[in-house]
Amino acid sequence: MTATPRHDELEDIQVDLDRPWNVVVWNDPVNLMTYVVYVFRKLFGFSKEKATRLMLQVHNDGRAIVATGPREKMEMDCFRLHNHGLWATMERA
Amino acid sequence: MKGPFRLVSGRIELTMDPREAEALSVVPGLLESVGEAGSDPGADQLDQAPYPDDPEANAEFRRLMAEEMAQSRAADRSAFSLTVEQSPHGVTLSSGEAEAWLRVLAEARLVLAARLGIDKDGWENTFPEDDPAVALLHYLGWLQQSLADTLESSLP
Repeated sequence: MTATPRHDELEDIQVDLDRPWNVVVWNDPVNLMTYVVYVFRKLFGFSKEKATRLMLQVHNDGRAIVATGPREKMEMDCFRLHNHGLWATMERA
Repeated sequence: MKGPFRLVSGRIELTMDPREAEALSVVPGLLESVGEAGSDPGADQLDQAPYPDDPEANAEFRRLMAEEMAQSRAADRSAFSLTVEQSPHGVTLSSGEAEAWLRVLAEARLVLAARLGIDKDGWENTFPEDDPAVALLHYLGWLQQSLADTLESSLP
């Protein structure tokens, strides 16, 4: 048996559902730098400078956050990155 | 940058010699040979799990997306197979076909690399280029680089 959640607990749940997600791209040894830059620009509309900065972050740090937003939209972005052979995962923002 | 792909009045031209055409002709068979995840490192590489610590969320993601992914990859492979045999000296691609080529090249390279056991940067210095699979990986990389450069030059 569970107690009826108090109103403020329900609000906590709602806030949790609304919390944004990040799409993280991870370094891989196979995809070429120019290819990754092009995919970032095409999928996210980034400038060459921004796409290059994120690609270098992936290459040097092993990972970079490329998008943040609602879970459903971030899953679509993840799907599109997978479809281009990039290694991408979801994490809580 | 000089490479085998060029943008010519909105279409993308690839110039190659018959030896390169022969190398490319193995790509459709390579991708058809990809087996089930769990039994083929190439398949594991393509079957990504977006939630590192949540098997249920991954299962749900696959339930929603797996069919669309399979259809998209099949369409790309079909566009590639139909155009790659235009001529042993080169092909001319629409922008949509070029995008399909780009994804097919990436997919083929990931499969080759996974089967070779390549899992970290610097493999170019340790894997012998006289291994046909390594040579193909390099050749497809050269194409990936040139095609990505060419398509990027057409972005606004």
